[in-house]
Amino acid sequence: MSEATDAIIRAQDLSHQVAVGEERLTLLSDINLSVAAGESVAILGRSGSGKTTLLGLLAGLDLPTGGTVDLAGERISAMDEDSRARHRANRVGFVFQSFQLLPTLSALENVLLPLELGDVRDASDRARELLERVGLGERLGHTPRQLSGGEQQRVAIARAFAANPAVLFADEPTGNLDTTTGQQIADLLMALNAEQGTTLVLVTHDEELAGRCDRRIRMDGGRLLDATTEPSL
Amino acid sequence: MSGLHRLGWLSRRDWRQRDVRVMLASLMVAVGIVATIGLFADHLQRTIMTSATSFLAADRQLASSHPLSEAFRNEAENRELATARQISFATMLQGGSGMELVRVRAVDGDYPLRGEVEMQDAPGGPRRMVDHGPERGGIWVNARLLRLLDVEPGDRVGVGDVRLRITGVLVRSPDAGFDLAALAPRVMMHLADVEAAGVVQPGSRVTYRDLYAGPESDLNAFHEWLKPRLSEGQRWRSVEDGQAGVSDALDRAERFLLLGGSLAVLLAAVAVAVASRQYALGQRDTVALLKTLGLDGRTIGRLYLLRLGLWGIVGTGLGLLLALPLFAVLAHIANRFLEEPVAWQVSPMALLPALVTAFVALFAFAWPPIRRLRRVTAMQVLRASPGEQGRWVLLDLLIAVVAIFGLLWFYSGEVWLVLALLGGLAALLAVVTLLSAGIVSILGRIRGGNRAWRLALVALYRHRRSGLAQMSVFAMVLMLAATLFLTRSALLEDWHRQLPEDAPNHFLINIAPEEVDAVGDFLEGHGMSFEALYPMVRGRLVRINDEPVRQAVSKHEEIGALNRDLNLTWMEKLPSDNSLERGQWWDQTGGEGVSVEAELFGEMGLSLGDELTFRIGGQQITAPVSSVRSVQWESMRPNFFMVFAPGKLDDLSATWLTSFHLEEGRKDLLNELGRQFPVVSILEVDHFIERIRSIIAQVTRAMEALLSMILVSALLVMAAVVSATLGARQREGALLRTLGARRGLLVGSSMLEFALMGLIAGFLGVLAAELAVWALQYRLFEGSFRLHAELWLVLPAVSALVLALMGRWQLSPVLNVSPMLLLRRLED
Repeated sequence: MSEATDAIIRAQDLSHQVAVGEERLTLLSDINLSVAAGESVAILGRSGSGKTTLLGLLAGLDLPTGGTVDLAGERISAMDEDSRARHRANRVGFVFQSFQLLPTLSALENVLLPLELGDVRDASDRARELLERVGLGERLGHTPRQLSGGEQQRVAIARAFAANPAVLFADEPTGNLDTTTGQQIADLLMALNAEQGTTLVLVTHDEELAGRCDRRIRMDGGRLLDATTEPSL
Repeated sequence: MSGLHRLGWLSRRDWRQRDVRVMLASLMVAVGIVATIGLFADHLQRTIMTSATSFLAADRQLASSHPLSEAFRNEAENRELATARQISFATMLQGGSGMELVRVRAVDGDYPLRGEVEMQDAPGGPRRMVDHGPERGGIWVNARLLRLLDVEPGDRVGVGDVRLRITGVLVRSPDAGFDLAALAPRVMMHLADVEAAGVVQPGSRVTYRDLYAGPESDLNAFHEWLKPRLSEGQRWRSVEDGQAGVSDALDRAERFLLLGGSLAVLLAAVAVAVASRQYALGQRDTVALLKTLGLDGRTIGRLYLLRLGLWGIVGTGLGLLLALPLFAVLAHIANRFLEEPVAWQVSPMALLPALVTAFVALFAFAWPPIRRLRRVTAMQVLRASPGEQGRWVLLDLLIAVVAIFGLLWFYSGEVWLVLALLGGLAALLAVVTLLSAGIVSILGRIRGGNRAWRLALVALYRHRRSGLAQMSVFAMVLMLAATLFLTRSALLEDWHRQLPEDAPNHFLINIAPEEVDAVGDFLEGHGMSFEALYPMVRGRLVRINDEPVRQAVSKHEEIGALNRDLNLTWMEKLPSDNSLERGQWWDQTGGEGVSVEAELFGEMGLSLGDELTFRIGGQQITAPVSSVRSVQWESMRPNFFMVFAPGKLDDLSATWLTSFHLEEGRKDLLNELGRQFPVVSILEVDHFIERIRSIIAQVTRAMEALLSMILVSALLVMAAVVSATLGARQREGALLRTLGARRGLLVGSSMLEFALMGLIAGFLGVLAAELAVWALQYRLFEGSFRLHAELWLVLPAVSALVLALMGRWQLSPVLNVSPMLLLRRLED
C-alpha cells in the first residue's frame, strides 16, 4: 500500500504566517506530513513551537498561507469556511485541554451538540451510550460546574466520539489534569480510539502519553525536526 | 471597615464586566427615561395648562353673583399674583334700527391674563389677536349684531345711560365658553363704563368675576387663604372644572402620561433585575475565593453594598445627563407645534420620580441576588455547588412585586391602574410560564424539517430555562407597549367620536313654532346636516316630592342647574348620543313622567318615581322621574337635563333650537339665514370646537412622543435581556463552528430560535395586553372594549422579526473569525 492511498491526512509544503502589526510572523514552515488511517500520532514540542497551529490547520480550523492539506480524501486547504465546516462535522472530532463544555448544558446535552449538527438518528441513545461508556451514566443531567475536571474531560471525550469521526484531534487532553486522572483519561482515549478505529492526532507535552501513540513527531520553531517520525517504542 | 477600604480596588475591575455594564446601562436608561418623561410631562402640563387656561382668560377665576371683596384682590396682589376684573350681565343695546338683548362682558385694563382676544377693525377685515379689551368709551360687538342693529364701526350704541362708540368687531374672547343659557349675542366693553351706564342694579342677574394668574404654588397658597373667607355662592374655578370637553381631554391625557411613566419604571426595573442576577451568578467564584482568604459574610455583604452604591451614583448621574438633551429635543419639537411656545425649564420636582426609581431599582431589584452572595460557601472554590434555589427566586419576585406596587401607587395614586397593570402582569407570568413551557416542550419533540429548523427547535428546548425567563420578559415588555398603544388608540378614537369632523358647530336658538318647518327646509336645502329641531321651554325646578329644592338638596348651591332656569324639552325618541341608564322610555310608561340626565340625577340624590315640580312662567307642572339618561355633552348637539313626552308641555310657549355643521368657507349662509329669520339667534361655536381640537392635537403629539420613548426603552430592555445570555450563546456558537457548523446553519438556526421566542412572546404579550386594556378601559377611561385583531397579527410578527435580528446580532462576533481564533479565545 502506498503512502498516498493510505494517508487520511496529508500536508504538503505547509506554511503559515500571521500579521503582527506591520510585520509578518512565521508560525509554520516547510511542513510535510502524512498520517495513515487508523494511525495514532503525537505531536511534541515546547510551548510556542507551533504544535497547536499545525493541529488547527490539519483539522481545517484555519487556512494555511502556503501549501496544501488533504483530510479524508478532500483538499480542505482549497475549501471555503462553510465547506470545511461541513467536512469537520462529518469527519472530525476534537478534545481540548480545557474541555470546552458549555456550562449551561447538562453532560447529555453537551454530547448531543455534534449529533444535532448531523443527521443522526437516535442521537439521544447514542449520547447516553457514550456517556455510559466513559463511566458517567449516572451523571447525565449534571452541568459541568457539578463535575470534576476528569469527569468534564470524559464528557468531552464522549462528545468527540459522538459523531463517529474518522479523525480525532486532541490538544493537550491531559494538560489540565493530575497525573492519576490524566492517566485514566489517556487510557479512555486510547481505548475508545482503538474501539472506534479512529485516526488520532494529539498534541502533548506528556512523553508518556506520546509514547502510547504509533508515531511521535517533534516540532521546534514552526518546523518538524529531522527525526520526525519516531516509531513508537 | 478597614478591610473594606483595602478591598475597594476590587470594584475597579467591575466596570469591565459585561453584566455590570448592562446593569449600569439599564439604570442609566431607566433614570434617563423616567427623568425625561418627568420633565417632558411637566413641560406638557404647563403647555397644556397655559393653552387651556386661556379658556378662563386666567389660571383661576373666582365667580359670584354679588360684588367680590376688594380685600381678595389686594391679598392676591400682595402675593404677587396678576389680577383682573370682569362683570357679565344681560342688557338691551340701542342701535340705529332698534334694540337687541345682548350679553355684555365688561372687562378692566388688565383683561385677559391668559390668551388673547380675537377682533376685527371692521366686519370682513383681517382678524387680529390683541391682549386687551376695548378702551373706555368704546365697545366691541359681534358682526351679527351690527347687522341686527344696522350699525357699523364708528357709530355709537346705547348701553343704559351711556353711549359707547363701536371701536371693533368682537370675533372671540379667550373665555368664550359655551353655554346654551347665554342666548344673546355678545359684546365687550370697559368695566369703568358700567357704573355710568347704570345697568347693574340690585337684583340684576350679574356675574362678577375676579381673574388670577401666577405660579401654581402661589395660586394654591392663595386658594388656601381664600377658602375660609368664601361665602355661599362664590365659586373658585380652575381649568379642570372650567370646561367639560377640555377638562376631560386633560384628565385623560394626564392618566395616559402617568400610565406611560409607570411602564417606563417597570421596564427599567426588569432590566436591572436581569443584569443583577447575572452579575451575582458570575461573582460566586470570587466570593468563594474571598471566603477562603478569610473574609466573613458580613464584610462581603458590605463590600458589595458599597459597589452597588457606587454604580447607583454613576448610573443615576449618567441617566440625568442623558435626560437633559433628550428633554430639550422633545420640548423643542413640542413647541414647534404650539401657537404659544412655553419656555422649557428643569424642575427639580420633576426629577424626583427618577431618583426614587433609581433607589428602588437598586435596592428592590439589584440588591436581593447580590446580597445572597455572602451565603456562597468557600467550598465553591473547589467544587461548584448548585446555583440559586427556586425559593430565592420567588422571594426576589415577591420583593419586586411589592416594590413595584408601592412605586406605582405612589406615582399614580390610582389603585385601579396599579391593580390592572399588576393583575395583567401576574396573569401574563402565569400564562407565559405554563404556555411557553408547553409550547417549548411540544416544539422540542417535533422531528423533521431542515437542519436549521431542527437545530433551532433543539436549541429552544435546550435553553428552555433561560429561554422561559427571557420570553416572560419579552412578553411583559410587549404587553406594556401594546397596552400603551391600545390605550392611546382608544383615547384618540373616543375623542374623535365625540368631536367628529362634522360635529355641529353652530346653534340656532329662538326659533318660533311657526318657523320650525321653514328653518328645517332652509338647512336641508343648503345641505347642512342637523339631527333634529327640539322644542324648548324655560322652567325652574322648584320642588322635589313637595319639598322645596333648597331643602331637599343639601348641595343645591353647588349645582348650577338648580340655580337657573333649565331648558325643558319633549321628544319622542332618544337622540343618538343619549342612552337610557335606568327606568323606561315613553313607549312603556304611556308618556308619563320626566327623563332626567344621569349626572344631575346622581348629584341631587334622586330616585326613580320622585315627583319633580317645575315653575314655567306662571304655571307649575309636576311629573315623576320615569327614566335616567346619560348624555354626551361634548357631542355639541342640543342636550337637555329634563325631557318630557310629546304633548306634555303643549300649553306652554316654546321656542325651538337645533345645531348643525357649517364649513368655514360657507359662513355667508349665516347672513342669509339671519335675513330670512331675523328673530332666530345664531350661536357660533366653531372657534370653541377648534380650540378643543387643537388641545387634543397637542395631547396626541405628546402621547405619541411618549409612546415612541417607551418603545425605545422596550427595545433596550429586550437587548439587555438578550445580552444577559450573550456570553454563553457566543461560546456555544464558537464551539458549534469548531465542531463543524456552517455559518449559514448557525445564523439560520439562531434567527429561527429567536424568532420562535419572539412569536410566542408576542402572542402571549397581546393576550395579556387585551386583558389589561379590558380592565383599564372599564375602570380608568370609561371606554368600550373590543378585541384588536390587527394587533394579534402585527405584534407577534414584529416581535419575531426584532428578536430574529437580535439573534443574528448576538452571533456576529463568532461568525467573522476563523474557528482557530475562536478556539484560542475559548482556551483563554
